[in-house]
Amino acid sequence: MKTRTSTMVSCMLGGALAVAMAFAGAAEKQLTLGLNDSLTGPGAVYGLPQANAVKMAAEEINAKGGIKAGADTYTLNVVAYDDKANPTEGTNAVRKLIDRDNAQYIVGFCCSGPTSAVASFIGKEKVLMLVGNAAERSITTLGATNLLRTRPPADFTGAAAGTFVASKGAKNIAVIGSLDVGFYTQYLEAFEKEFVKGGGKIIAKETFGLKDRDMTPQLTKVRALNPDAILVLGYIEPAAFVYRQSVEMGMKVARYGFTSGSEEQFLKVATTEQMEGVWDLRPTELTLEALGATAKTYVANYTKKYSTPPSPSSPYAYDQVYVLKNAIEAAGSASDPLKVAAAAYKIAVPTEAVMKYLPVAGMMFDQNGQAYTSNGAFQWQKGKWIYVQDLPSDPAAYSTYLKGLRK
Amino acid sequence: MIEFLQQVFNGLAIGAVYTLIAIGLTIVFGILGIAHFAHGVVAMSGGYVTFFLIEKLSVPFFVAMMLAMLVGAVLGLLVERLAYRPVQNAAHINAFIIALGLTMMIDGLNLLAFGPDQMVIRTPFQSVFNLAGLVVTELRVYVMVTTAVLIVAMSFFVSRTKTGRAIRAVAQNRSAAILMGVNVNAVALVVFGLSSALGVAGGALVGAMLALAPGLGESLVIKGFAVLILGGLGSVPGAIVGGLILGVSEALAAGYLSSAYKDVIAFLVMIVVLLFRPEGLLGKK
Repeated sequence: MKTRTSTMVSCMLGGALAVAMAFAGAAEKQLTLGLNDSLTGPGAVYGLPQANAVKMAAEEINAKGGIKAGADTYTLNVVAYDDKANPTEGTNAVRKLIDRDNAQYIVGFCCSGPTSAVASFIGKEKVLMLVGNAAERSITTLGATNLLRTRPPADFTGAAAGTFVASKGAKNIAVIGSLDVGFYTQYLEAFEKEFVKGGGKIIAKETFGLKDRDMTPQLTKVRALNPDAILVLGYIEPAAFVYRQSVEMGMKVARYGFTSGSEEQFLKVATTEQMEGVWDLRPTELTLEALGATAKTYVANYTKKYSTPPSPSSPYAYDQVYVLKNAIEAAGSASDPLKVAAAAYKIAVPTEAVMKYLPVAGMMFDQNGQAYTSNGAFQWQKGKWIYVQDLPSDPAAYSTYLKGLRK
Repeated sequence: MIEFLQQVFNGLAIGAVYTLIAIGLTIVFGILGIAHFAHGVVAMSGGYVTFFLIEKLSVPFFVAMMLAMLVGAVLGLLVERLAYRPVQNAAHINAFIIALGLTMMIDGLNLLAFGPDQMVIRTPFQSVFNLAGLVVTELRVYVMVTTAVLIVAMSFFVSRTKTGRAIRAVAQNRSAAILMGVNVNAVALVVFGLSSALGVAGGALVGAMLALAPGLGESLVIKGFAVLILGGLGSVPGAIVGGLILGVSEALAAGYLSSAYKDVIAFLVMIVVLLFRPEGLLGKK
């Protein structure tokens, strides 16, 4: 009898312990959040701030108790790798995240080269991939339903920029840019189409490499053509060299660009006097006047944490983490990333999102897994990027166009 | 025509920097027979020292550059004494491997000390002169004049001083120089000091004209060796001519064809010259 009672008590204690452990396990479940970004090399100006933003968002979510989905609560553990803005490195990094770290959720992706390489195979993997700043159009036309992107494609912005520059009265414009990089070419094609409609003409297309610093040969050629304006398409540093050297060469023309660099990033190469009057025609990224209270909090927290202000495009990555949180909560579990991906298509813009997204049919992402932000014209005035005006864009129409390209 | 002259002017300024780098390489190679691949990162280190002196201690540009040249000369002495001299009698591959190791080590130290971002050395030389359509920037004029002054000073040192005579003696016949009582090890130290100081001047000027950045030293040393071969191994006049030809070729290629082809065209010029003059433009047969 005593033995039977003892066995029953043991079973009850064991059962209680198992239940307690189950609850304890649910409370302490850890989700590996893979982060692939360009942490060194020419893309680091975009990738490093993105990586910082992801880590900050993960810490915020963890500090508030994690992600609650069904009976489980998940805390995020960020595992980061550097793709060096290189497709091979990016592929290797993501393979390591999937195969070795068992990451089912991968975020980051600032640069189009490695992102396109990963996008080409990610559709066959059981993971959810969230793309940030990479602007190459084809990333969301490859047909991978487990890939979603927070940044709009470059040509979505290029079209609005072309209309804007034409409205400014420029007739002849010379382009200097990384024209061997796909998304800059896409921006330019869309720009040119609208610019020509507005009565303008592109009179020169000059190329520079990502590591070029001496732009005087291209500027000399352009100057001889006597343009009304120049359009600079490239990463921040080479673009800053173009702006700097255009002033050094005494060129007095309107200067437009597509770069998304912060004041601090440009001032490493050019002076504020050399930058005065430059326009940046880009998605309405992190600019306090344009984005309001959420952005102010983001900037304050980021600056406090990293002792440097965030880059304008870094919130694309910050917002990814909140998209993931909401999608997991909507799916009710994090165990199946494809189910979470399906849920992500149906979520509204998270309240914590810093960027000003333009929902399509009330949802943050369209049928292609693509989110859209408004586009804006920013001008360098007395040492700062000033938000001047919105560049009207039609996400629904673009979404339909993108759907037509999707495989 | 103005556009062509503008490209030539811009190319000459870049060519002046290539010349300074190449002269440093050519005197080390011509006198000591060492392919000093770490020369580019030594030059960049000097550029960073110049940047530090200007930004942190508000030292005027040329004073900062001269102080950095002194620091560079000391670094050159250390490199010769600690890295190359122990292998001076070993196979050439040893010195080559040491040079590659030094490149990685010094580049890594620069990265650690100054970070991965590009840095521009700020100068007060911001004026722009328009000469009948030809835009002449004050800074680029200073780059060319500084290069010319340094070349003249170096030539004076080598041709008119006792140490210079010893250097020339070692360059002409090392064994005979030893027999005549020349301290060859001391000459090697002086040559490395001189070479590094000139390289540092090149680093400071490129930092002012363009920027300093990790990896730029390797790129400069490749151009320097191209100039060395184009001008003729061990020839200082060859390094001057070769440097200017390379700079102008690059500018013309980027201006009239595409920036993507500028290295291709520049090296194509080198190959064509070597087809007809395998010893280089001013090298000895």
